[in-house]
Amino acid sequence: MADRVMKVNAFTTFDLLDASVEGHGFEEEALATFNVRTAREAVTLELELDNTALEHVPPHADRVTLSAAEARTLATELQNAADRADGD
Amino acid sequence: MPSKVERWKDETYGMEVRDHLLRFAEDGWDAIPEDEHDAWFERFKWWGLYHQRKGQESYFMMRIGTPMGRMTPEQLRTVGEVAREYATGPVENPEFGEAYADFTTRQSIQLHWIKVEDIPDIWDELESAGLSTIQACGDSWRNIVGSPVAGRDADELIDVWPIVQELHETFKGNDLYTNLPRKWKVAMTGDRRGSGQGDINDLAFEPAIKELDGEEVEGFNVNVGGGLARKEPRFARDIDVFCRPENATDVAAGLSALFRDYGDREDRFNARIKFLVDEWGPEKVRSVLQEEYVDYELPTAGEDLRDEYDYNAGRADAAGDYIGVHDQSDGRNFVGLSVLVGRMAAEDVIDLADLAEAYGSEMIGLTQRQNVIVGDIADEDLDSFLAEPLLSEHSPDPHPFMRGSIACTGTEYCSLSIVETKNRMVRYGRWLRDNVPVPEGVEDFHIHLSGCTASCAQPQIADISLRGMKTRKDGDAVEAFDVGLGGGLGENPQFADWVKMRVPADEVPGYIANLLETYERERAGPEESFRDFVADRDEDDLADLAEGEETSYEDPYLGNTKMTWYPYAEDDDMNASPAPTDGHGEPLPSDD
Repeated sequence: MADRVMKVNAFTTFDLLDASVEGHGFEEEALATFNVRTAREAVTLELELDNTALEHVPPHADRVTLSAAEARTLATELQNAADRADGD
Repeated sequence: MPSKVERWKDETYGMEVRDHLLRFAEDGWDAIPEDEHDAWFERFKWWGLYHQRKGQESYFMMRIGTPMGRMTPEQLRTVGEVAREYATGPVENPEFGEAYADFTTRQSIQLHWIKVEDIPDIWDELESAGLSTIQACGDSWRNIVGSPVAGRDADELIDVWPIVQELHETFKGNDLYTNLPRKWKVAMTGDRRGSGQGDINDLAFEPAIKELDGEEVEGFNVNVGGGLARKEPRFARDIDVFCRPENATDVAAGLSALFRDYGDREDRFNARIKFLVDEWGPEKVRSVLQEEYVDYELPTAGEDLRDEYDYNAGRADAAGDYIGVHDQSDGRNFVGLSVLVGRMAAEDVIDLADLAEAYGSEMIGLTQRQNVIVGDIADEDLDSFLAEPLLSEHSPDPHPFMRGSIACTGTEYCSLSIVETKNRMVRYGRWLRDNVPVPEGVEDFHIHLSGCTASCAQPQIADISLRGMKTRKDGDAVEAFDVGLGGGLGENPQFADWVKMRVPADEVPGYIANLLETYERERAGPEESFRDFVADRDEDDLADLAEGEETSYEDPYLGNTKMTWYPYAEDDDMNASPAPTDGHGEPLPSDD
C-alpha cells in the first residue's frame, strides 16, 4: 500500500490523533497525523488519516493554507473552544 | 524568495564557520546568542556538528567523514581515544556504557555529548591523524561512499580508491562547491558487489565497460538523483553517460556545479537534485551537463555489471554484506565483523585498532551496513585472529538476526526522531535470536529501524523496514512502527512496500516471528529469498502475512521517550536535565 504522504518527526504537531472521514454513504475512522507549518509567509495545516484504515478514499493528505491573520482568527477560535471544552 | 536557511548561509558558511566555532569554543556555550541558535546550528553542520535535541542543550553530535569508510588502525585508535575522552555525557547508556562511537550507513563516525569548548582540542587530535569533520553534514559534498576494500577486493573491476581520494581532495574545502542547495551525496563503486549503493545517492558512479575507439574501456556509468527521504524515494536515474576513470573528477565537478546553479534554493523540501531530475528528465540533465559544464564529448553509457551485484540485494545465494572472511587480491584476507546497530564502545574501538596493528593490517573499513572490516590478515594468522576475544563480541559469524540489523540515532540524541531506536534494535535482535527459528537457508536478514520519516537507517531498502510512529495501547500513547517489506538494491532495486501502520513497539518482535513463520510455511522453497517472496504477493496479501503480537519480549522504552531529556536517565523528566552545561559539564545557571 501507499507510503504516508506527510513526513512525521518530532516537529510534527500531532502524530497520534483520532479522526474520521465522512462522505455520501460512508464514514470511516482512523488514526491521523496533523501538522502546522509555515511556508512562504503563510500558515499551512495538514491532516492525513492512516490509509491502512480507509477503504473509501485513496491515500492522501489534506492541506489548507491560511494567512497570518486567518491563523490568528483560528487560534482565537481554538482558544475559546478549548476553554468551553474545559468547562464541560 | 530564498529560504531562511539560504539567507543564513549567505551571511556566513563554509570554511569561515570554523573561525566562529573556535571563537565560541574560547568564549563558551553562552557566547552563542540564544536568538541566533537556529542559524548557527545550521552553519555548524558544515563542520560536522549537529546540536543535540531538546533537553541536551550545549551538547553536539560530531561526525567524522572517512571516505569509503576507510582508515588506518592508527586513525581508528584516534577515534577511540577521542570518544573515550570527550564523548561522555551526564548519564551512561545501559547497553553501551559511558563512551562509544557510532559507525553510520554512510561510512562515517558519529560521537555524542561533544561540548563546544572541547572542539579545538578534538580537531587537533583528529587532524593530526589525518581525520576531519569538514563537510560531514550541511549543504555540500558529503562523505563519499563506496567499498572500503577497493584495491584489495578480489572481486572488483576497478580500484576506485585513488579516484575517491582525488574527489575528496578536490571537493572538500573548495569554495566553488561550498554552498549547494542541499546535501550532495556521492557513491563510487568499482566492485562487482554493488557495495557503493549508488542507487540511493545524488551522484553515483557504477562500474561499466564500454567500447571506445575499438578498445574495451573499464570505467563508470553515471546515475543522478537517488535518495530516500519522506514519501519521495528515488533511485538514481541513468543519464546515459560513460565516464573514464580519468574523467571522474570533471564529470563530478560538472554535475555538482549544475546542481549548485539550477537546484531549488527557495523550497528545501524540493531542493535535492532528485527533484531537478524529476523536473528535467535525465536527457536534459545530460544535455545541460554536456553543453555547460564539460568540455569534451561525453560517451553514452556502457555495459554495467548489475547482474553480479549481491550487496544488500536480498539474494538467497549470497549474503549481502562483508561479514566473514574474504579473499584479497594480494592473497591475504579481509575480515568483516558485525557491529550491532553500528555502535562500538570506545575501549573496543581502541582494542580493535591495536589488534589490527598487531596483525599487520594497514586498513580498517566501515561499511554501509554499519559494520567494520579489518584488512590484510595473512592466511597463517587467520585462525589466531579469529580466536581473539574481541571477535566474540564483534563476530565475523554472527547470528542472522544480529547480522542484518541497522538503526539510526533515535530519540537518544536526535531532534527529529519520535522513537527510541538503537537500544531497542539490540533488544529486538537478542529476542529474535533466542526465540525465533531462522528459516532454512537464511544467512542474513535485514531489519532497518529508523526513528522518523527522514530515513537515516535506510528503511526502504531492507527485508523488514521499521519506521517510528506512535499508537495508542490500553489508553496510553506508545511508541510504534510503520512496517515495510521487501526492499533492497542489487540488479533490480526495489523500495519496500509499506504494509502495516502503527504496530506497537512491544509487538514488533511477535510480528516478525509470525511473519517468518508464514514465510517458511508458504515460500516455494529455501531458494526463494524473502525479498522474492514479498515481490510475488500483492498489497492485500502482504498486509495479511502477519499481525503484531505481545510475546515474552519486554520493551522498556514504550512510553514517549521524545518527552524525556534522556531516555535512560533515572530521572528522565525534561526538567531534570542538567543541560545546558559549561565546558566542565556543570549546569549553567538558568536565565529564568
